[in-house]
Amino acid sequence: MTVTLSGDLEVASQSVSCATCHCKNVLRSDNEKNRKRSNTVKGEREVQGHGESGVDTAVTMVGPVDADVDVVRFLGENSALLLAKPLDGRLRDVHSLYVMNKQKLPAPFDEFLECVRTISQVSGDAVVLVETRELQGTEWVIEFIDTFALQILEGQLLQDSGRGARVDCHDDTVDASDDDDAETLFDEQTPLLDRLMDALDFDKDARAADEYTAPLVKVLSAKLDHILQSEPVSFQLARERAKYTTRFEEYISVCGDPEHARLLTGLAYIVNNKVVSMQWSKLTKAEQHNPQFVQCLETHIHFIPNLKPQTDVTLGDCSYLDTCHKLNSCRYLHYLQYIPESALQLASERAAANTSAAVPPLYTHGYCCSVQCKEPLPPQWIQCDVRKFDFSVLGKFSVVVADPAWNIHMNLPYGTCNDVELLELPLDQLQDEGVLFLWVTGRALELGKESLAKWGYEVVNEVSWIKTNQLGRTIVTGRTGHWLNHSKEHLLVGVKAHPHWLNRHIDIDVIVSTTRETSRKPDELYGIIERLVGPHARKLEIFGRDHNIRPGWFTIGNQLTGTRIHELDVKERYREQVADQPRDPRDPRRDHRCGRPRDHRPFASN
Amino acid sequence: MSYDTKRNESKQENKTKHVSFKPLKEFYTNNYSDNYIHTGSFPQAHVTNVENTVEGYPKLQKLFQEKEKQIADYATKPYGCKVAIDEMVPTLKNWIKKDKITFDVVMIGCLTDNQFIYPLLTQLPLDKLISKPGFLFIWASVQKINELSRLLNNEIWAKKFRRSEELVFVPVDKDSPFYPGLDGDDNSVLEKMQWHCWMCITGTVRRSTDGHLIHCNVDTDLSIETKGACNGSVPPHLYKIAENFSTATRRLHIIPARTGWETPVRLRPGWVIMSPDVLINNFAPSSFKSELARVGCNIPLKSEIESLRPKSPVQKTEKLV
Repeated sequence: MTVTLSGDLEVASQSVSCATCHCKNVLRSDNEKNRKRSNTVKGEREVQGHGESGVDTAVTMVGPVDADVDVVRFLGENSALLLAKPLDGRLRDVHSLYVMNKQKLPAPFDEFLECVRTISQVSGDAVVLVETRELQGTEWVIEFIDTFALQILEGQLLQDSGRGARVDCHDDTVDASDDDDAETLFDEQTPLLDRLMDALDFDKDARAADEYTAPLVKVLSAKLDHILQSEPVSFQLARERAKYTTRFEEYISVCGDPEHARLLTGLAYIVNNKVVSMQWSKLTKAEQHNPQFVQCLETHIHFIPNLKPQTDVTLGDCSYLDTCHKLNSCRYLHYLQYIPESALQLASERAAANTSAAVPPLYTHGYCCSVQCKEPLPPQWIQCDVRKFDFSVLGKFSVVVADPAWNIHMNLPYGTCNDVELLELPLDQLQDEGVLFLWVTGRALELGKESLAKWGYEVVNEVSWIKTNQLGRTIVTGRTGHWLNHSKEHLLVGVKAHPHWLNRHIDIDVIVSTTRETSRKPDELYGIIERLVGPHARKLEIFGRDHNIRPGWFTIGNQLTGTRIHELDVKERYREQVADQPRDPRDPRRDHRCGRPRDHRPFASN
Repeated sequence: MSYDTKRNESKQENKTKHVSFKPLKEFYTNNYSDNYIHTGSFPQAHVTNVENTVEGYPKLQKLFQEKEKQIADYATKPYGCKVAIDEMVPTLKNWIKKDKITFDVVMIGCLTDNQFIYPLLTQLPLDKLISKPGFLFIWASVQKINELSRLLNNEIWAKKFRRSEELVFVPVDKDSPFYPGLDGDDNSVLEKMQWHCWMCITGTVRRSTDGHLIHCNVDTDLSIETKGACNGSVPPHLYKIAENFSTATRRLHIIPARTGWETPVRLRPGWVIMSPDVLINNFAPSSFKSELARVGCNIPLKSEIESLRPKSPVQKTEKLV
């Protein structure tokens, strides 16, 4: 049973009417049977019925003690919680909670035990206490609490001691603070709307009641909630460090004012599909009508409609925009990006001002000890047929990125590795512990998850690359998917073993980036990975192409040009391997092409 | 003050130094991930067509308008069915056996963790609840979908319900009611900012010939939260994708989770919504059946929509025929 359900049960148990209460007693007896309680006790419970016997005993009891009333109330109100996991009714823990809740001088456990025993006796086993022998000595466990009998007992005790607050056994435990609220609710002075909104303000009680007056359940659940909602400080520290240590790339925001685009159509001088210059005389005039236009022009990215004789504005935008191959005949609307050089300069100055890399961060988790003086290795790469390459040459890596050509369509114009070949790649050799990023498309999503599991990884994240076009819009046209259009791609993130050195939760699992050449993935990923594993971790990219080589990274793939290795041990092992195996006479770039899937491109404008 | 002087200066500069307005020669793109690290502004906030996804495409805009109108015209009245999670399977079994109700579109789950999807899927005779052809959408966190994969990928399941698309919903920031939070996020290396949907098709539909049943390629597999989306556990995007895709009017949404008062479950025209926390409990099989008799089981073809919606290339089908 879930926590919520047991919570509900408790609420229900406190607000039942007499009729349902009877059923409940019967129900409880059933539970007891399951618990294999002794026959005598069970018999007593059945006879007890509505708990009259409990009342009788309570009445005859002499000299009720304040503490006892508190204990009775405490046990009654929190019965479900006390009996459920993780407490399981262990009396020592119940005692600690009682002391915590009441904020009193800690009464010794022996006294508490005696008190509970007395309650159990006088109420006719409303509280069933069992002794168990454990390693550290004798333990007492509450096996069962009859809230109804306890409520009656509590009422009797209060009446006897002259406080007479809660006699009614039907009392649904509305506490004093609620009564106050009820009074203010009917205050005629406040407008109806405010009163209604006040009634809807569920957080009010939580805010009003401080830690010691609220019932234990609420305090504990609020505490638990708070713990679950707050992220570890390591996340915050890593994020803060990333902010100060990664270079702030220049950033220019995009102007979203359609009026500016319209104005620019008349201002820009376009030759051969390029913005050549601006007509300055008109610029000042435009500024007069649209104040701040010039300032916006200086600081934002603008897209100027590229109107040509054949352009039919009513058709709307071209699906291909800047990648359209028929710029001189396409009747759809195209745009030209306009950023003044000064804007970029301004942006890079701003970026430089925000980057304070000179101060070495005091938080060093996940960094190598010589992080300040160590230079990143220059780019390294090996041109090879990945399917036949001996991965032991490469050593171990902190992070691996793979963008395989999944064989999703059988009729691709270029050779693709088939799924089996990909599954058979010995990717389990590359890492003892670390992270693997695997690009997948469509059907390969499931295959990718299976492969990761087979290689010993647990899929912990799925990154979505939101593909955007020239105008920063998602791709919505054409028939880019079979049933629905595809405007994103998936990147599976698998973790092997327990890499404690990761700086987790710096970035989010969403990348927004423009599409480029077919199947070329966004460079943003490199930044995300470098922040995750630290600047000097060994990083490998499999199935890389020439545009993928980067400082600090090792790239292998059949479409790379040549081979370059700087790490001496890898160099040595590679030499040995090449010496062992005479080169394949066939040109690997032609025959073993393990190409890439075609990027989904819109077919045509609608 | 500084602003004004700066503006004046820049104006003078414009007149004298034309160089400052010289355009960049190369295409420039921002690195929104890097920008997030430094400014805390989420990458998805910079997508320029969030509010109107088909901005710039008049034909598609027209198509969306037409479809919205037609879907509203052929919608049953909104139904809510307030049922405790434990009672869901018995209730649904009753609908199938006693009332002979089936649905063409069934959506399970909403944007919250702590959903009891697995027991529902294992206990419910889904193949009897969903007619053929029928469409199943299961919304949950990425982690939950991964856990369900084991069940949904087994042979018996995969034969009945073919997985066809993976949908994603991205909330716009951390203040969003749809922000997933840290729930079930103990092992992840990146902060979670999305919800996933497993979209299945049962029975046979062909996208080239079954235009009366499905309209393909109208929506995309990605939704980003729009401004002013109602506070609730289900953003309208989730319903819209299903409505735009299938022309069926018998739609059921099962939410096997307590969503509480903070994120109420609202009714939606054209849907029967089953949840322990749905705001109104008004479902009666007979009333639903009479509504269906009124609107019909499928939205009829409309020539405007037919001419506007994306279709398979014509030559290809001609060859096949």
